[in-house]
Amino acid sequence: MTLLAPILGGLIYGVERVLRARMQRRQGPPLLQPFYDMFKLMEKRTLIIHAMHVLLGVLHFLILWLTVGAIFFGWNLLYVIFLHLFALIVLVMAGYSVRSVYSHLGANRELLAMVAYEPVLILVAVGFFLQSGSFEISKIMQGEGYLMQMPLLFMALLMIIPIKVKKSPFDVVEAHQEIVGGVEVEYSGLFYEFIYMARFLEYIFIYSFVFLFGGSSVWLGLVLVVAAFFLVNLVDNATARVRTADMIKIVYVGAITLCVINLLWIVL
Amino acid sequence: MKFLKKFRKKAPWILHYNAGSCNGCDIEILASLSPKFDLERFGVINTGNPKQSDIFLVTGPVTYRSRERLIELYTQIPEPKVVIAVGSCTATGGVFRGMYNVEDGIDQYIPVDVYVPGCASSPQLIIDGVVKALEILENKSKEIEKPFKLFGEIKQVGKLTSRRDMAKKIKEAEDEDKS
Repeated sequence: MTLLAPILGGLIYGVERVLRARMQRRQGPPLLQPFYDMFKLMEKRTLIIHAMHVLLGVLHFLILWLTVGAIFFGWNLLYVIFLHLFALIVLVMAGYSVRSVYSHLGANRELLAMVAYEPVLILVAVGFFLQSGSFEISKIMQGEGYLMQMPLLFMALLMIIPIKVKKSPFDVVEAHQEIVGGVEVEYSGLFYEFIYMARFLEYIFIYSFVFLFGGSSVWLGLVLVVAAFFLVNLVDNATARVRTADMIKIVYVGAITLCVINLLWIVL
Repeated sequence: MKFLKKFRKKAPWILHYNAGSCNGCDIEILASLSPKFDLERFGVINTGNPKQSDIFLVTGPVTYRSRERLIELYTQIPEPKVVIAVGSCTATGGVFRGMYNVEDGIDQYIPVDVYVPGCASSPQLIIDGVVKALEILENKSKEIEKPFKLFGEIKQVGKLTSRRDMAKKIKEAEDEDKS
C-alpha cells in the first residue's frame, strides 16, 4: 500500500482535474493525465541548477513518502506531523538554494503557510488524543464518535485543506500566474517529476486526516473524504486568491478559535 | 525510449510569450485555454515556466525590446520543444512589417514549426495549430536547438553540457560585430 501511495495520489489528482472540469462544464483531461505528465517529464532533457538543489527536491519527495508510509503503518500522529514538517523544510531549503527571485518568494510563502496550518494540525492531533487516549494512529482507528465530539476541529481541518493541496482561496504558495509556481520554478524534466509526485503525496497526507475522523468505521471515513474533496474543489472553483497575510489571519482567527473552543468543550 | 515517446503528445505544456503584439492574439490564446474552447482536454497546461514547457506560443512581430527575452525564453525550454507563431505579425510582420523598431516575424530569430495565420487568429485556428504541433513534437529529436541570432555558446563542463551562455545580450552581439 505504501509503495503504491504515489499512484493512488496520482489517481486522486486525475479525478480532481476531471471533477473541476465538469464543474466548469467542460470535458477536461483524461483520468490518467497525471501519469501521462510524469512519463513526458521523464523523457525531456533535464536542466540542473546545482546538484544540491535537485538532491533536496528528491529528498523532499522521499521524506513525504516516508510520512505517508508512517500513516499507513499506524505510527504516532505527532511523528507524522513533524516528519511532514521536515519534508517541507527541505523543500524550503531547496527554494533558498538558488538565485531565482520567484524561488525565494515561494520559499517565504511556504514558510508562512506552514506557520498558518501547522498549529491546526497539532490541535487536531491533540483532539484525537483527548478522545482516544493515544497518539498512535492504529489506536485512534479503533475509536469511534470523533465527528460527534469534535465537529469544530473537523471544520478547522477543512479550512486548512486548501492550503495543503494548493487550492483557492489559499493557493498563494504556488500562485502560478503570480510567482510561476514558487519553489518549483527552477526544477525541470526528471527532477520536476519528483516535486510533481510529492504533490500527490500531500493529497494523501491531508485527506488521511479527514479519514481518521471516521474512526473504526471505514465507510464513514470514505464518505467524509469524498465530501471534503468535493467541497474543497467547489470552493476552489468559486473563490479568488487571498494574500498571504490575509490567509494567516483567516486561519488564525477562524480555524484556531474553532480548535480551542472544541478542545475546551472536550476537556470541561 | 520508444515507450516514453508516445506520451509527448499527451501532455504538452504551454509557455506563452508576447513579443510585442497588440494583445489581440493573446486574448484569443487565453480564450482557447478557457472553459469554452477547453484546450486542457488535450492535457495542455499553461505553465508560464519555460523550464517545464514543451510548446512555445509566441505572438507579435519581434520588437527590438523583446528579442533578448525571446531568445532567453527559447533557450531555457528543454528539448524536445516546438514553436508556434500565432498571428500574422508573428509570421511575417503583418501590419507592422517594415517598421523601424520591428524585426518582421520570429523566424528571423528562432526556428518555427507551426505558423497560425489570422489577425487576430481565432481560438479554433489556435487549437488546430497546437494539435498540428503535437504531431511534430512526437517526431522531434532531443538535439539541442539553437536560435539563429543572438546565439552564444554551449560549453562542456566535465560530463555536463552547460547552456548558461546560450542566450546572448544585444550589447554583446553588437560589440562582436564591431570587432
